[in-house]
Amino acid sequence: MIDVQALTKSYGPNKAIDNLNFTVKQGEVVGFLGPNGAGKSTTMKIITGYMAPTSGSAKVAGFDVFENPIEVKKRVGYLPETPPVYLDMFVDDFLRYVAELKGVPRSRQRDAVDRALTKTNLKDVRRRLIQNLSKGFRQRVGIAQALVADPEVLILDEPTVGLDPKQVAEIRELIQELRGQHTIILSTHILPEVQAVCERIIIINKGQIVAQDTLENLATLRGGGRKIHLRIKRPNEKTANLLKSISGIQNVHAGATPQDWVLNAQESEEVIERVAQEIMSQGLGLLEISSAKADLEDVFMRLTYGASAAEVQNG
Amino acid sequence: MDKISAIFRKEIRGFLLNPNFLVVCGLCAVVFSYVYPLQLSIFSQQLHNYVYTMQAPKQQLNIHYAVFLRQLSYLNLMLILVVPALTMRLFSEEKKLRTFDLLLTSPITSVQIVVGKYLSVLGAIFMISLIAFLYPALTALFTKVNWTALIIAFLGLYLVAAVYAAMNLFCSALTESAIVSYVMAVILNVSIWFVGMAVEVVDGPVARQIFEHISLNTHLSNIVEGTIRTSSLVFFASVIFLFVFLAERVVESSRWR
Repeated sequence: MIDVQALTKSYGPNKAIDNLNFTVKQGEVVGFLGPNGAGKSTTMKIITGYMAPTSGSAKVAGFDVFENPIEVKKRVGYLPETPPVYLDMFVDDFLRYVAELKGVPRSRQRDAVDRALTKTNLKDVRRRLIQNLSKGFRQRVGIAQALVADPEVLILDEPTVGLDPKQVAEIRELIQELRGQHTIILSTHILPEVQAVCERIIIINKGQIVAQDTLENLATLRGGGRKIHLRIKRPNEKTANLLKSISGIQNVHAGATPQDWVLNAQESEEVIERVAQEIMSQGLGLLEISSAKADLEDVFMRLTYGASAAEVQNG
Repeated sequence: MDKISAIFRKEIRGFLLNPNFLVVCGLCAVVFSYVYPLQLSIFSQQLHNYVYTMQAPKQQLNIHYAVFLRQLSYLNLMLILVVPALTMRLFSEEKKLRTFDLLLTSPITSVQIVVGKYLSVLGAIFMISLIAFLYPALTALFTKVNWTALIIAFLGLYLVAAVYAAMNLFCSALTESAIVSYVMAVILNVSIWFVGMAVEVVDGPVARQIFEHISLNTHLSNIVEGTIRTSSLVFFASVIFLFVFLAERVVESSRWR
């Protein structure tokens, strides 16, 4: 459905994105993940036909975004970072206008607007001015706007940014419902979001793809490490060295309080046992021990900010 | 065509439902209501003087020159300041509020965007001109009015306003800041009147002809006196086309910049 080949966009000497290659199959929900300024929005804008790439090509449903932007735009619904809503219009009129722009035939416009309103739960506010709506509702009007022409491809740029937790949950639910009916690309820098809705993830950093895979494969990418959280009653200055000397422990960080420690260890369960034994035998007073497998967050931090940042986060 | 009319209708509704535009119309009406009766009574005094002394220049005794054309020049002054305010929301504000993204990601060409918006400004200007036209039209209740000359004169000024609209739309497309777009547009509107001044200075007959042709004054003064020349129409049409085309280029450029 979407085919991106060697896509590059430079702003003067700066390359916003550099040689991106990926494809999205019909009906797939793909998460575009990366820190701020990684090039997510630029990539999405190019796929929508909003702007042209410096080099490389992007195709939507077989149409090149540069050669045939009108055909591409007919098939794409786009929600930019700021929802493109006219504050001085009524919700109803606004969606009607968008339907006209997107080329929905006059006889079907009424239905198209109704359907978009139903899907986004906006029926109650259809006769309100958009400037009187809360941020969450405006965001939903933005999504309704992307949906109104029933496009094959939906591109949502940070759809949940700046919303309260309940609204975030609602938007996620909405995206879940849309799955299957549309091919969806969604960008975010919030991890739980992709975990909640996406089948496949493309992690992008400094304009380059650093990883693209399914959720499960990515989570194990780190090579199966284990994180051990410790709480000790009577730590002393030798504790750090003692913990480091235990076989299977890769490194040791001080936690939030002097009593807390975080250890990066090998996958095996014996490590936990050895740590517990060592602390007991030294009489340090073990209060708490817990272990967790490396999760997507670690992978993300490692791939985008480098190993040092990942360790700071862990500490 | 559907797309152009969609944009046109949306913008026209935007003007009509927007209190700002109605306030502008109201204020124009206030100004006209003040100056027009003054102009009329000055004219009637001149008539009296003429009857008693027979000394006033004859041309001034025509209501078309003494009252209606004055009214037109006030309307012109208004439009120089008001048209930039109408056009600045069409692109500058859209860019600032990011609603421009919607247009750029819709299956619509930049020609359709610009033409739709240009037509909507023409509509808004038409409404303001209509308000100004009401005053001379109602004078017909007291006196004989030469309708053809009056309507042609207003048509002439409407063409000038259409030139303003094209130039100001171009200014609006250039920048994200409404203020910058407004100031740029006013300066352009004012300076287009200065171009013709060079006629007084240049020596060469060819240069003189050129400056005469590009002087807005030459063309307008013909039309307001009731003479329509094709050369004037061509001049207005080409200036309008030039600036609408430039605006279209600017909009299109955002696709590949």
